[in-house]
Amino acid sequence: MAQAVIEFVEVTKRFGPALAVDRMSFAVAPGEFFTLLGPSGCGKTTTLRLVAGLEEPDEGEILLNGIPIASPKRGIFVPPDKRRMGMVFQSYAIWPHLTVFENVAFPLRVRREPAAAVKERVLGALDLVGLQGLAERGATELSGGQQQRVALARALAYTPAVLLLDEPLSNLDAKLREQMRFELRSLQRRLNLSVLYVTHDQGEAMAMSDRIAVVHRGRPEQVGVAAELYETPASSFVGDFLGRTVMLRGTVKKSAQGSWIDLRNAGGRISLANNRPAQFAEGEEVRILSRPEDIDLLPGGEVGPNQIKAKVEMVAYLGDHLEYSVSAGGRSFVLAAGKKARYPVGAGIRLAFDPARITVLPL
Amino acid sequence: MKMPAASLPFPGLRVRLRLSHLAESFMLVFFAVVMGLPVLFLLWSSLNVAAPGKDAVYSLANWIRGFSDPGTLSALWMSFLLSVVRLIPAMILSVMVAWLIARTDMPGGNTLEFLCWFAYFIPDFPLVLAWILLLDPSFGFLNTLAGVLPFVEGPIFNPYSFWGIVWVHTSTNGIWFKVMLLTPVFRRLGASLEEAARVAGASNLTTLRRITLPVLAPMVLAVAALSLIRGLESFNTELLLGLPAGIYVYATRIYDYTRQEPPAFGEATALGSVFLLVLVVLSYFYWRYLRGKRFIVVTGQAYSTMRVKLGKWRYWALGGCLLYFAVMMILPLSFLLIGSFMRRYGFFNIASPFTAAHWQNLLMDPIFLSSLKNSLIIATATALAGIVLYSTVGYLVASRKSRGAELLDLFCWLPWVVPGILMSLGLLWLFLATPLRSVLYGSVWGIALAMTIKDSPVSTQAFKAAFLQLGPDLEEAARVTGASWGYTYRRILLPLVAPIAATVGLLNFGSALTSISTPVLLYSAQSRPLSILLMEYSFTGELERAAALGLLITLIISAMVLAGRRLGLKLTGS
Repeated sequence: MAQAVIEFVEVTKRFGPALAVDRMSFAVAPGEFFTLLGPSGCGKTTTLRLVAGLEEPDEGEILLNGIPIASPKRGIFVPPDKRRMGMVFQSYAIWPHLTVFENVAFPLRVRREPAAAVKERVLGALDLVGLQGLAERGATELSGGQQQRVALARALAYTPAVLLLDEPLSNLDAKLREQMRFELRSLQRRLNLSVLYVTHDQGEAMAMSDRIAVVHRGRPEQVGVAAELYETPASSFVGDFLGRTVMLRGTVKKSAQGSWIDLRNAGGRISLANNRPAQFAEGEEVRILSRPEDIDLLPGGEVGPNQIKAKVEMVAYLGDHLEYSVSAGGRSFVLAAGKKARYPVGAGIRLAFDPARITVLPL
Repeated sequence: MKMPAASLPFPGLRVRLRLSHLAESFMLVFFAVVMGLPVLFLLWSSLNVAAPGKDAVYSLANWIRGFSDPGTLSALWMSFLLSVVRLIPAMILSVMVAWLIARTDMPGGNTLEFLCWFAYFIPDFPLVLAWILLLDPSFGFLNTLAGVLPFVEGPIFNPYSFWGIVWVHTSTNGIWFKVMLLTPVFRRLGASLEEAARVAGASNLTTLRRITLPVLAPMVLAVAALSLIRGLESFNTELLLGLPAGIYVYATRIYDYTRQEPPAFGEATALGSVFLLVLVVLSYFYWRYLRGKRFIVVTGQAYSTMRVKLGKWRYWALGGCLLYFAVMMILPLSFLLIGSFMRRYGFFNIASPFTAAHWQNLLMDPIFLSSLKNSLIIATATALAGIVLYSTVGYLVASRKSRGAELLDLFCWLPWVVPGILMSLGLLWLFLATPLRSVLYGSVWGIALAMTIKDSPVSTQAFKAAFLQLGPDLEEAARVTGASWGYTYRRILLPLVAPIAATVGLLNFGSALTSISTPVLLYSAQSRPLSILLMEYSFTGELERAAALGLLITLIISAMVLAGRRLGLKLTGS
C-alpha cells in the first residue's frame, strides 16, 4: 500500500474512566473509501473526531500523510483548523445566520482566497452536489436533504486531505438515503477523495466502502472488504453485525477419513475439509456460523453429509418467498425459502449446509 | 515538548491552541479578584477593630457587638419571614399564569408574556412611591376613597407595615420574573408526556396535577429557591416602607450601620458575613439540586401542539391576568404620573392641586443633568462590559473544556449570593486598598464595575443556555474547515447569540439604571446616578419631584425595552 493518508497507531482515548477508543490501529490509503462500522457507543465517532482534531488522544499516534498530527508522547497536537480536513456532521451543522453561499464560502474566506476564486469554487461545489441556483437561500430555508448537500459542498469547497463523514445519511428518509449512497460513492470516485466514513448501517457500509472496519468496544474487530467480512467474519460479533447468522455448537472430530464437526444435538455432522481443520484439535468445542441464505431446506428423511435435522415452528408468507422459523440443535432461527416446496408447522425437515460457506470459530 | 522545534511539522501551533484556555485563566483571575476578594476583605475587616488607616487590631468585638444587639437577630428573622410570606402567593400565581400562557388556549398569551417582560424592567423604587401615594394613612388616595364609605373609620390601608411591604413587593417583583422563567419551561415540556396521560384516560386537571407539575417540579422548585435567595437581599422597599414603621431587614440594618456617625463598618461587615454564610449554604443546595436536573424538561422532543381547552373560561382567565397587571402596574404608574403633577403629593382637595412646577424644577436642576449623564455612562458601560465578559464566560462554561470552567460557573453565582449592599461594601474596601483607588473610588467606573459584577448570574446563565442550545457542532464545523478559535468565536458564535446579547445588554442597562443597593455605598457627589438622586428626593420629602424622576426613569427603560424587543425580533429573524 502506498503511503497511508491517515494512520492510527495504537490510539487510545478515555473519557474519565470509560475507554472510548482502545489501542486503535488502522490505515486509510489515498483515494480509499474507508468505513468505520459499529453500533452506537462503540467509539467510531470518537475515532472520527480524533482525526478531525476535535478530541485529543491519550496515547498512541495519528499520522497524516506520514506526519504525526497527534502524538501525546511527543507533545504534538495539531488543532483542527490546521489539519485541512473536510467534515460533514450528523446534524450537518449548517450555520443558520449565513446563506448557503456564505456557508460554503466560509472555509475559503478563512483561507483569505480572493473574491473571484471564492465565487468560482463555491458555485462549483454547489454544482457538484446538485444545488445550483440555491446559493442565496438562507440556510434554514432548506430541507434536510438540501442541508446535507450544503454540508458536503462546504467540506469540498477547498481540497481537504481527507473527507470525514459522520453518519451523514442517517437523518434522511429511506429513498433519499439510497440515492445519496450512490451519489456520494460516484463523487468520491470522480474526485479521487480519501474518505473516512462512520455509520451503524451495514447496508450503507457495504454499498459504498472500499474497506470496512467493524468497530466493537473501541477496537476494530475486523478490517476488510465487504465480501470478506460477510463471508468469513472473524468473530460472531462481526457476523451478527453484518447481517443475520445461524450459529450452532459442535465438537471437532478427526479420523483417517478426514475431519468433521459433530452436531450431536441436531443429529448430523458437517465436513471440515475446507475449513482449516489443522486449527482445531480433536474433541474441541466450536461454534459454526452460516448465513441463513446459504442453508437449504429439504424435506424430512435420512440425514446425509452436511445435513442436520430440524423442525418447522412457524411459517410466514411474505409474497415472493416464505420465512420459516425452525428449531435445530436446541436453537431457533429464521430461514427464507422459495415457494415451491412448502412445509407445514410441526413438520420435520432437514437443513443442508454448504461446508465451503461456513465459518468455524473456537467457543 | 521534547522534539526540537524545527522538526515539528506545524511549528508554533500549541500556543494558538491554548487561546481559549488563556481566556479562561484570565476570567478566573478576574472574577477571583473582583468577586472573591471583596468577600474575603469583608470577613477580614469584620475582625479588624482598628479605625480605617490605623494598624490592624484583631478581635471578635464587632461580631459580639453586632449579635448582642437584639435588633440584629430580629432583622435576620424579618428578612426571612418577609421573603417566605410573599413567595407563596407569588409562586402559585406564577405557575398558574405560566401554565395559562404556555399550555392552554387562552388568547393573548404572547401579549401577556411581553407584559411580564415589560413589568420586570419597571424599577421598583418609583412603584413604591406610587403605592405610598395610594395607601398612605394620612393622604393615600385609596384611604380617602374608603373613608367615604359608611362604617369605615380611620385609614384601612397602611403601607408602612409588614403586610404593606408584602403587598408592594407583589406589585414590584411579584410574578413577572417568575412567569418569564417558567413559561418557556412549561412550553418545552414534551408534548407526548401530556398526550400519553390524556390517552390513558386522565382529565385535563388530573394531567396537570399528576403529570405536568410533577415533571416540572424541579424547575418550579428551582425558581422558588432562586426567588427566595433574591428576596433575602431586597432593600429598596424595606428602606422606604420599613424604616418609618421600625421594621428592619438585614440589608437596611447594614445600611443603617454604615450611616451612623462614625460609621460602624465593623458591625456591618459582621452582620453581612453571617448572612453571607446563610446564603452560601442555601445557594449551595440550590446549585447542587439544579445541577443534575436542569435539562430534564429540555429533553422533550417537540413543542406541545395540543393545548388544554378552557372553553368559555379562557376569556375569564385572560381577564384575570389583565386585571392583575392593571392593579399591580397600571394603577400605581398612573398615580405616579398624577402625583408628579400635584402641588402637594396626595392632596386632591386643596385649591388648584395640579402644577407642572416639579417637572420644570427637576429638568432645570443641574444635579439632575449630571446624574442623568452619570447614569447613562454607568448603564452603557455595564451593558457593553456585560456582553463582552459574560458571552466569553458563558461560552467557556458551556463548552466545559476543563475543570476551570466549573469553578468559573460557581464564581458567577456569587453575586446573587452576595447581596448588593454587601458587594458594594466589599468593593468599597477593595477600591480603597488598591492602587486603582483614584480611578474607581467614588467614580462612575467603580459603580459600573460593581454593576457588571452584580449582573453576572443572569448574564452568564443566558449566554450559557444559548451556547448549549447551539451545541458543539456549529463551532466544530468551523474549526475543521480551518477557522481559528478566535475567528470562529467572532464569525460564528457571536452572531448566533446576538439576540441573547441584545437581551443581556438590555437587562444590564436596566438594572444599572435602577439599582440603589449596589451604588449606594460607592457613589460620590461627582458620580451620583439617577437612582440615588431619586432616593435622596424621597428622603428629603420631595415626593412630587421623586415621582417625576421615577416616571422619567421608567420612561427611559420602557423605551429601551421596546427598542430592544424590536431589535431582538429582528436579530432572531422572526
